[in-house]
Amino acid sequence: MMLDNVLHAAILATTPILLAALGGLINRQAGIVNIGLEAMMLSGALAALIAAHVSGSWAVGLLAAAVAGLVSAAPLSILVTRFGANEIVAGLGLNVLIAGLIGYLLSDFYGVSGTLRLMPVPTLPRIDLPFIAGVPVLGAILSGKDVLTWAAWILVPLTALLLTRTRIGLRLRACGSSPATANSVGLSVPNLRDGATLAAGALAGLGGAALSLGLVGLFSEGLTGGRGFIALAAFYFGRNRPWPTAFACILFGFFDAAQIRLQGGGLPPELVQVLPYAVVILALTLASWRRRRGPSPEP
Amino acid sequence: MPVVDSPVTRLGADGISRRFGPVVANDGIDLAVRAGEIHAIVGQNGAGKSTLMRIFQGLDQPDAGHVIVDGLPVRFRGPADALAQGIGMVHQEFMLADALTLAENLILGAEPGRRGIIDRRAALDRARQLGDQAGVDLDWGQRAGDASVPDRQIVEILRLLYRGADTLILDEPTAVLAPSQVDRLFGLLRALRQDGHTILFISHKLREVMALADRVTVLRQGRVITTIDVGSIDQDALAQLAVGETVEPPYREAGDGVGDVILDVVGLSVAGTGDRPALDQVSFEVREGEILGIAGVAGNGQEALIASMIGLARPSAGRIVVRGRELGGHSVADHRSFGVGYVSADRAGEGLCRQATLTENAIAGEQRQLAKESKGWLLPGRCRQRAQTIVDRYQVVHGGLGRPVAELSGGNQQRLLIGREIDRSPSLLLIAQPTRGVDLKGIAAIHRELLAYRQRGGAIVMVSEELDELIALSDHILVLCGGRAMGIVDREDASTETLAPLMVGAAAA
Amino acid sequence: MSGALPRALEDGLRLAMPFVAALLVGAILLAITGRDPFSTYAELFNEALGGQSRIAATLTAATPLIFTGLATAIAFRAGVFNVGVEGSFYLGGLAAAWVGFAWIGLGGTLQMLAALGFGAFVGGLWMLLPGWLRARMEVDEVVTTLMLNFIAIGIALWLVNGPLLAAGSANSATPMVLPEARLLRLIPPSTLNAGFLIGLAALVAYGVWLRLRVGGFENRLVGLNPRFARSVGISVASVILLAIVLSGVIGGLGGATHALGVVGRFSEGFSPGYGFTGIAVALLGRNRPVGILIGALIFGALTSAGTTVQLFADIPLDLVQVLEGTVMMLAVVEAVRWARRRRAVRAVAP
Repeated sequence: MMLDNVLHAAILATTPILLAALGGLINRQAGIVNIGLEAMMLSGALAALIAAHVSGSWAVGLLAAAVAGLVSAAPLSILVTRFGANEIVAGLGLNVLIAGLIGYLLSDFYGVSGTLRLMPVPTLPRIDLPFIAGVPVLGAILSGKDVLTWAAWILVPLTALLLTRTRIGLRLRACGSSPATANSVGLSVPNLRDGATLAAGALAGLGGAALSLGLVGLFSEGLTGGRGFIALAAFYFGRNRPWPTAFACILFGFFDAAQIRLQGGGLPPELVQVLPYAVVILALTLASWRRRRGPSPEP
Repeated sequence: MPVVDSPVTRLGADGISRRFGPVVANDGIDLAVRAGEIHAIVGQNGAGKSTLMRIFQGLDQPDAGHVIVDGLPVRFRGPADALAQGIGMVHQEFMLADALTLAENLILGAEPGRRGIIDRRAALDRARQLGDQAGVDLDWGQRAGDASVPDRQIVEILRLLYRGADTLILDEPTAVLAPSQVDRLFGLLRALRQDGHTILFISHKLREVMALADRVTVLRQGRVITTIDVGSIDQDALAQLAVGETVEPPYREAGDGVGDVILDVVGLSVAGTGDRPALDQVSFEVREGEILGIAGVAGNGQEALIASMIGLARPSAGRIVVRGRELGGHSVADHRSFGVGYVSADRAGEGLCRQATLTENAIAGEQRQLAKESKGWLLPGRCRQRAQTIVDRYQVVHGGLGRPVAELSGGNQQRLLIGREIDRSPSLLLIAQPTRGVDLKGIAAIHRELLAYRQRGGAIVMVSEELDELIALSDHILVLCGGRAMGIVDREDASTETLAPLMVGAAAA
Repeated sequence: MSGALPRALEDGLRLAMPFVAALLVGAILLAITGRDPFSTYAELFNEALGGQSRIAATLTAATPLIFTGLATAIAFRAGVFNVGVEGSFYLGGLAAAWVGFAWIGLGGTLQMLAALGFGAFVGGLWMLLPGWLRARMEVDEVVTTLMLNFIAIGIALWLVNGPLLAAGSANSATPMVLPEARLLRLIPPSTLNAGFLIGLAALVAYGVWLRLRVGGFENRLVGLNPRFARSVGISVASVILLAIVLSGVIGGLGGATHALGVVGRFSEGFSPGYGFTGIAVALLGRNRPVGILIGALIFGALTSAGTTVQLFADIPLDLVQVLEGTVMMLAVVEAVRWARRRRAVRAVAP
């Protein structure tokens, strides 16, 4: 069935975006806009592929992805929290740096330019649910999904709980809302923000692994294809709240899947691809319009 | 002066000095706050109060001397260190995270619970208990950003108590409060003293100090002038100590008061945050050669009044007429081109651009006119010439016209700002806090300048928190409270006694 | 007077610091992968500046960066964080290519001027939306301009794969522009073209605008302190809108010169991130004309040298990207430390 196919693909396409978006959301709640998610996904994707190939285990691949994402987040975080770098430029710089580094290492170690295929690679196992699989729609949504997809969706409520019910979550939100307050009650804003950025790196790294181990089983320089920025779009659209952000991710995942499967049936694929970005501009504009319709602040 | 080494000294300073470049903020300060007392620190702006408080919080380090806690020297690296010693501070701009609820703000940094999970019930119980102790009923689930100013202040105090602080530092806590709210705060502070808490209270409102404190330390130009029991001194004597040499009342020629009407304000209202307007149906007029003073507790509509008259805020109702021209709602450029000048209360943030050069600051606002005179070119030579004129005329001491304004002293910055505005010969000058942070010599010069301008037929609307200044300079004083005009007092009748009741909202006689 | 020389020296050091640090990072990478950093850098230097043809290649590579750096600087100076120059560059290039091949019959220089002008126009038009959103609706320009890059690239791709695809061409590219529309080659056979001179002229015009025109003066004051600018009667919203649209115009003009001078048409992958490198150029050059020129030349040299070194010495071209990314990350660190010192001065006085 067409719909089932699209749903299935949409949910798989959502996973990398969702993981990165949850990371970016936590980061943003702590007061840092992470523009480097793309780089962290890319390094996660590569590390996952290599580690899974070498160890023969997808689990090791995932671990490597998280670590690689975290390690690539570290310079960004340190420059922003300790040296007062502008997070936007530093994030853009990180994207350039990591892309260059990966390209350099690929051609140096593997002698390939752009694309790395390793055989064999254990891809992420998919979990088929025996009874549900046959049910239309529901089966397409729930069955045949890999472990990372399940993990990503379990992380949505967990992130919500983390932010509202836990000590660390409260402190992160305080850092984002008012760093001076956090400082005045004895919290270390740089440490907390570093923690948030590193967590974002790890999650984005896993998001990259969802691409290289979950979807395609190879690595290419264009593998992430701007998904780090789509993730950014998602948490902006979801205004840093886990469920609305997840909703935006599934919407964008749907665009992604539809663009491949519904070719010829409406918009050209190049234009479908830009929809998430357009949606964010629209969302920001509406938010501002709502804000301005409220009581005008005193000058 | 030796350290007052009493066994009951809870918090103190031993010879603390701190300088910033050429400015000596603290100069060998000795202070001893006894356990269980309410100790006030008074002093004018720039006396060094804020620097000392920052040092007490570990937000700044002294160049020499020590902070003393329970008689022993300590070194605070930050607020956390101070809090660990039981010393907490309520800052002038409140330290609450707007996005968090009041309860979350209360427990932030010391959240009850196990294994990282917050015990929300325990948090709320504790919050209610603290609220009951303080005799306040707060909506703890409310976002801090939505809470009222006094509630936010109370939460800050309760947070310190929650964290186990027994010594509270409050920096100008009443500046943002209405009189009834001040009473509630003072009630709470007295109750805390009853329970054995120590309170250090920073203020420049002497009446409040007299009403609340046990002892008072007077700071002047970074030095301790004296520490004295409040019971053994009266308010006038205290004022004398805080100000030091009194400012000679400036020589002021009587105006005839029959000039043309320059400014006519009718029923002016400006929307505020929430339901209450920032300015509510205010009417007055100002004539040639007249200074209208605006008195009131900070935050009672003065800013909205000035902002609407220069075009920074749009009136929600009413008219602003300058020399017969209706200006309400026009742009700042329009206001200025119709002869309105503006000296902002926020000299560093709005009145001047600190990173820009003297020349750039001097010609800012005039650039289009200057360019028009040179076929569209903004010639550096002409700009410098213009700046030189202002700098010479208003005696701005500087290190070069191409240097950033940030390098000037406060008084010279203010002279440059006032000079820039007056030199364009506006028919109406709006000026807020004309002498804030300026030393005595500078104050006298600025007062002379304003009076000279008045003598030439200029009209001034002047907002000041210094009543003495208003009384010395103004022809009439309009008193604002809650955004409404409580009355206009003539020069002959103006005194603290006549103005104070109006400032707290009592109707004019 | 006395401060003039040390200040120039200080500026020079500031310009050099991130670059030297990036070279260090690159050296470590080279050493780890078993190459001699010194000989590699020597080779890079040689490839960038050794001989007329190499210098011409460097200047060619620097040309788009002059435009994107300048475009970014105009916005940055007004305090507008426009990271959307890439989008203007793309669309400006496409617009110019379209005029260049489709407006048959204009003829002569007019064809070229129309193409350049239309490219600049489209680049500016593209920034109208984020400019208006920022100036009038207070919508954060960082996110909107960043997102608009992807939208611009998407639209351009769609156009070159559909309506504007060259007949009989399999790859995504427009037809070649008419010969009249092409920019003059300065030193044939190198691709160095009149676009470089247009870039220099734009820098000079920018310098004059900054120092001698009301627009430049207001631009600076708004960037330094918008509240101050507002209180002296400057229309902050107009200045911001003008800055961001001008930024788009220059970005679009850059794309146009690239299309007409180097590529000869518009094709997929038109810009390998010139807009983003432009951010590094502007930061490195502190938004000043000479600084931008130096920054663009440095990155241009790296790119042109990297290309040939990859061919002959088996050093991956990606090394250049590593250097560039490092410079970007560190350039802001420097910029902010400088801003912080200014802020510290501000905090001092009571």
